[in-house]
Amino acid sequence: MTFRQRTRAVCFGLIGLLYILSVPWYREIEAPLRLWLGLPDWVAVALLCYVGVAIFNAVAWSMSDLSDTYDSSDGSDTANAEGPTEVRESTDVVHPTAEPRLPGSSP
Amino acid sequence: MNFGIWGILGLVVYLAALVGVAEIAKRAKRDASPSDHFLAGRTLGSFVLFMTLYATAYSGNSLLGYPGRAYRNGFEFIMATGFMISIIVVFQILVPKLRPLAVRHSFVTPGDWIRLRFGGPWANPLRRVISGLMSLALANFLLAQLKAMGDVAHLVTEGRVPYAAGVIGLAAVILFYETRGGMRAVAWTDAAQGIAMLVGLAALFAWLISEAGGLDEITRAVAIKRPDAVAVPTAVVCTNWFSTTALMGLASVLYPQAIQRIFAAESAQALKRSFAAMSFMPLATTLVVTLIGIAAIARFDLEAAVDTDGVVPLLLRDWGSAGGWATPAALLVFLGALSAIMSTADSCLLSLGSLLSRDLLGREGRDEAATRLGKRLAALMLVAVIPFALQRELTLWRLIELKMELLIQCVPAFLVALHWKGLQTGPVLAGIIVGTVFSVGLTFAGMPQLQGVHAGIVGCALNLFVAVGFSLASRGGAQAQFATLPSHSARR
Repeated sequence: MTFRQRTRAVCFGLIGLLYILSVPWYREIEAPLRLWLGLPDWVAVALLCYVGVAIFNAVAWSMSDLSDTYDSSDGSDTANAEGPTEVRESTDVVHPTAEPRLPGSSP
Repeated sequence: MNFGIWGILGLVVYLAALVGVAEIAKRAKRDASPSDHFLAGRTLGSFVLFMTLYATAYSGNSLLGYPGRAYRNGFEFIMATGFMISIIVVFQILVPKLRPLAVRHSFVTPGDWIRLRFGGPWANPLRRVISGLMSLALANFLLAQLKAMGDVAHLVTEGRVPYAAGVIGLAAVILFYETRGGMRAVAWTDAAQGIAMLVGLAALFAWLISEAGGLDEITRAVAIKRPDAVAVPTAVVCTNWFSTTALMGLASVLYPQAIQRIFAAESAQALKRSFAAMSFMPLATTLVVTLIGIAAIARFDLEAAVDTDGVVPLLLRDWGSAGGWATPAALLVFLGALSAIMSTADSCLLSLGSLLSRDLLGREGRDEAATRLGKRLAALMLVAVIPFALQRELTLWRLIELKMELLIQCVPAFLVALHWKGLQTGPVLAGIIVGTVFSVGLTFAGMPQLQGVHAGIVGCALNLFVAVGFSLASRGGAQAQFATLPSHSARR
């Protein structure tokens, strides 16, 4: 696992945790109103959690290995991965000459 | 000069600017291919991409509906800020896998992914079912925007432009610039519309805060008038909070217009930058509209705003009547709201055209005829939806609510299929049918939620169970047959 992948994994873990904390399921319903940052305290907590989510999400996006270059080794060209019988049926039987079924497919 | 006259002038200038942008976009066209028309030739850079994602994500519902919801439900609607961020989080599951494939195979519509990924006798039915669900969701969305456009045009001109004229006139403008300039015109106008929306919202919020004497004062006034609006939510509301976050996050990434923006980006870098910036936009938009709705609690009686979508127009009327700089500022917000609505409507229309021609009718060509068919189908859809929009009393809201429940049923075909090779066509189709029938049936039976959990979420769980379960069960047989087939890479 590279540094970028580790960082993204940590970010996603924190995002999940913050989402769980943002919902006041752990608060007493009858709790008296307390203001924090001009808001009811449970709202302020939710808001701070969302600020955290936004920051960690932005970090995760910036650490993303998103690329325009296709990497066949990761198996994401799932035409190869699709239930092979079905692909065969689709290309070889139903459309015998239609292998490049997508316009602009690479030869 | 009163507010209505200012409104007409503002509207005319705004619409003239949109028409101008359409002409410039038309001149920038490289060719008449579907890729150039529907995806701007895949040339959207970071800024325009970001603004078009922003303007498309925040619709009339965000600017008029969300303040109404906040007004009605109180501070618990802070959940909206969270679920809007969750959309950008879930895009991380979709984009890194889908984008390289979209570049490699020149995807134009979401159906192109389905065509690539799924084969066999059930592949075409699956593509059509998914396209049908997406088209239905888009048509509902378009209808809601048309109704909102008519309302805003009527309000901003103080009734000088009748509702029906607003719907038809603004729809005609959208059709004009979308047909002339395609995605370029849509994206460029989205950029301008996004800026108008941001500035307008910030100005309205600043006015509300200064009027009330600060956020503390607003909260205290709300607590006195409506104690329930500041109370800690109940267990059912908390469950609904989690459910809404999941529903919105998972379903919204499958809006065809959002997926097509992934295809239209100039580069992966532009996408990364745009999505990173989009993470913060709910804090600048959804949070602001939520607080605007809450601030309205202290200003209006609940009975005075039975149709809570009218909260923002009521506030703007108050603000505009204050005179001085408030009148043009309120006008700016009105136009910002109209911009948000039109930018969503134009994106829906553009996507509908491509979806209907390529995915439903199977016109996969790359020539001018395919583009022309997409344009005609978009125009036809618009004409078909307008009569529904003109019936102001028509309550299609349950159908509109259904759109997220419909879209979330496409999760296995996109989010799971991109990451798991074992998912098979037949089980995915069966899962979608089971999930959709369950969600729609439950909603129409008057049970859109089960103890706070949306019918769509339960339907999606069933859908996943069927799709994954049956794919695993049939895996052995498929592997046995795989050995007898030539490899796909070899065939390529």
